[in-house]
Amino acid sequence: MLKYRHAFVVGLQSNLVYRWNFAARSLFSLFHLVFVFIFWGAIYAGKASIGGFGFTQTLTYFVVLFVLQFFIGAFNEDYLISEDIRNGLINQFLLKPINYFAYRLSVFASARVVSGALGFMALLVALPFFSGYLALPHDGWRIALGLPAMALTALIQFSIAYCFGMLAFWFLEIQGFVILSMAVETVLGGQFFPLDLLPPAVFHAVSYLPFYYQAYFPNAILTGRIGLGAAAHGLAIQALWAVILVCLAEAVWRRGLRHHTAAGG
Amino acid sequence: MEAFSRYLRIWLASARYSLVRAMMFRGDLFIWALVELLWISVTVLTIAVVYSHTSTVAGWTKYEMLLLVGTSMLIQRFLMGFFWSGIYEMGRNVRNGAFDFVLAQPGDPLFMASTRKLELDGLLNSVVAAGLVVYAARKLGLHPAPSDLALYACMLACGVAIHYSALVMAMSLSFWITSSQGVEGSYFTLMEFSRIPREAFRGFASAVFVWVLPVVVVSNAPARAILHGFEPTWALGLCAATLVWFALAVMVFRSGLKRYTSSSS
Repeated sequence: MLKYRHAFVVGLQSNLVYRWNFAARSLFSLFHLVFVFIFWGAIYAGKASIGGFGFTQTLTYFVVLFVLQFFIGAFNEDYLISEDIRNGLINQFLLKPINYFAYRLSVFASARVVSGALGFMALLVALPFFSGYLALPHDGWRIALGLPAMALTALIQFSIAYCFGMLAFWFLEIQGFVILSMAVETVLGGQFFPLDLLPPAVFHAVSYLPFYYQAYFPNAILTGRIGLGAAAHGLAIQALWAVILVCLAEAVWRRGLRHHTAAGG
Repeated sequence: MEAFSRYLRIWLASARYSLVRAMMFRGDLFIWALVELLWISVTVLTIAVVYSHTSTVAGWTKYEMLLLVGTSMLIQRFLMGFFWSGIYEMGRNVRNGAFDFVLAQPGDPLFMASTRKLELDGLLNSVVAAGLVVYAARKLGLHPAPSDLALYACMLACGVAIHYSALVMAMSLSFWITSSQGVEGSYFTLMEFSRIPREAFRGFASAVFVWVLPVVVVSNAPARAILHGFEPTWALGLCAATLVWFALAVMVFRSGLKRYTSSSS
């Protein structure tokens, strides 16, 4: 564990070098909240509720989504992994007693600590403008189930990014695949609109896909869009997806290594 | 006139190079065209979901909104097709010193940097975005006169110029900060506002997003030209915004260029 702690600390330091980039990105991301406020405000004009939820509940959903993305979202991990493979930097990990998945997960965790803290600070700047529109439920069980759901979401997001990064073993350019997947993940993860606005049958089908657990699920627990039964049931499915994706990541790594040619001295 | 024909020849040479390169990597072209198509579909899906719960947003019906979003996409696809790659690479090139290559070329650095590559996938998908506009116009029973179409085309060109200017300014930050990675995201965040009807903006938001940042005008002005014909206020406002933003972009780029000290600037 000590080596991964070192990787985490080094990752923390290297991410702090880019703190101004993260800070600028966080501040600019606030514009997205303004967009949400204006767009959904126009949709809700003259309506008490849409899909069973009021404007404050929907705005709260997007504010929590904003924070979650900075704390547990995989931003560019796929790109970093693919660069390791393309540039041959991966070779050093093959010669050392270190698990590449665990190493990258440690670096991912450190990056999210920095981006999460800066994203949270950016939100604090905007909070005086939004606080009157937020409606967070106060049930204790939502925190108790929301925190493990967030951890599993981070693992799912990272594992998917890891698998896409591994594509660099087979393809020279992977960004097309990454952004293709991002479009699907964004819409089926509930980042454009809360998934419960979908027709019930579609919503039910989507709840069995891993994308549902990438953003919507922990958010829905924390913001009161789903009840205790659905949250417990969802947590079990989410844990199953996390295990499947971690296993898939390991399998892709092993298959990829068979294709890999380490060159140079 | 001589300078214009020289720059046209340079641009044609770059376009020919981009075309040959795209044909060499046809698989890549296919994937990226699919990526763009998927993002368009995701946006259309969002509109479909929203309008399944309401009949109007800020007084705009579903097909009026599709026309607005199609227009916004058309502008963005033109920007992606003609300028995105060059401007995006500018940030990285400034950081690693490869921008020297641009400065050594026989032309204005901003022109050379931003027109180096054409992205065929963006241009291909502009056909899809145009199809969306035509579909929405037909559903609305619109039959715009040739003069309205010419006005629409001019306004689209102004919109592309404003988007171009905003992106140049965002990427010019790389002359000042360690890395501009993620800065392009701020551009996309701001451009989200171009998909909202002007009527949704009130008070301070109206002042900022309609008058100070012309993100709303770029799409609303051409869409209104198709929906309501020539409106002098919108047309003049868009022309003025284009001139101001382009002048600002050139100024910011040039003052950034003064800071450039070749490798590791």
